[in-house]
Amino acid sequence: MTRDATAFQQMTDAGLLEAAAAGSHAAFTEIVTRHFQPVYRLVWRMTGGAADAEDVAQDAFVTLWKNPSQLREGAALRGWLMRVAANAVIDGSRRPRPAALDDASEVADPQMMPDAPLDRTQAARLVDSRIAALPERQRLALSLVYFEGLSNIEAAAAMEVSVDALESLLARARRSLKESLSAEWRDLVGGLTETGQ
Amino acid sequence: MDNGKDSRPDRIRGESMADACEIDAVLAHASVPLVPEGAVSRLMARIAEEPQVAKVMLFRPREEAPRRSLLRFATALPLAASLALGIYLGSKGTLDFMLPTAITGVAISEDSLDDLGGVGEADDYASESLL
Repeated sequence: MTRDATAFQQMTDAGLLEAAAAGSHAAFTEIVTRHFQPVYRLVWRMTGGAADAEDVAQDAFVTLWKNPSQLREGAALRGWLMRVAANAVIDGSRRPRPAALDDASEVADPQMMPDAPLDRTQAARLVDSRIAALPERQRLALSLVYFEGLSNIEAAAAMEVSVDALESLLARARRSLKESLSAEWRDLVGGLTETGQ
Repeated sequence: MDNGKDSRPDRIRGESMADACEIDAVLAHASVPLVPEGAVSRLMARIAEEPQVAKVMLFRPREEAPRRSLLRFATALPLAASLALGIYLGSKGTLDFMLPTAITGVAISEDSLDDLGGVGEADDYASESLL
């Protein structure tokens, strides 16, 4: 590891962004190292696990690299990247393709096998498919807050909505999930208790 | 799942703690996607080929310019000296010979001032006509 790389690791996002704006690839590498994983996870959930999730996540970083100065506050870097990536998914040219998860849900659907207990893999596919079936903005709100750990304020800023609007989206997402998983709800909640998670 | 950051008190506004725990328990079953191997390298390779379209640096205010008081005095001093010299020489009349005669009035006779239209010569013409 070079001395530059070590120095960049200790810099804030704002500092890295300034260095990247000056053309530093090393600084941008550190930005990618810090933020690619959460952005990829978000895109993966938004696209329902589509094969081009990596491409969409990459596009957000390429957009940033081309013009780093478009982001005025380095502290909001992660939220900005997530917003760009989510907008790319929501954009008409990149509609979510939850087909893979829909197929999986058919395999895991307990209504097809009413007495069969859910195993871990089936439960994961079932929950993934139900999340993928949520409306885009509910899915985005849920992903930002529950899976990426953003606060309501941060998630609202990333989605460019008010906190009240975000909470409304979250409430609807929770209600929809509970309805769509009503048959397996007890198993999913109880299963965790049994496994001690 | 939450990256070590507990945002639960924030997000459960409007729902009971039991409901929030249930939601957490159910969502904990969701898959955690792993970044494909080599994804970061592929991205950086793509970045290496992409030129930056705008290298706009953050604005930094210019350092304050040095005080110009000395320079200002250096300019004003010869001007003031020139003014004082002019007043002195003007009051002494030493350089009046250099001034235009139209201002000093030295070359202008009272006759020419009184008879700018040539009316004074009218008598001459009158006497000649009588003869």
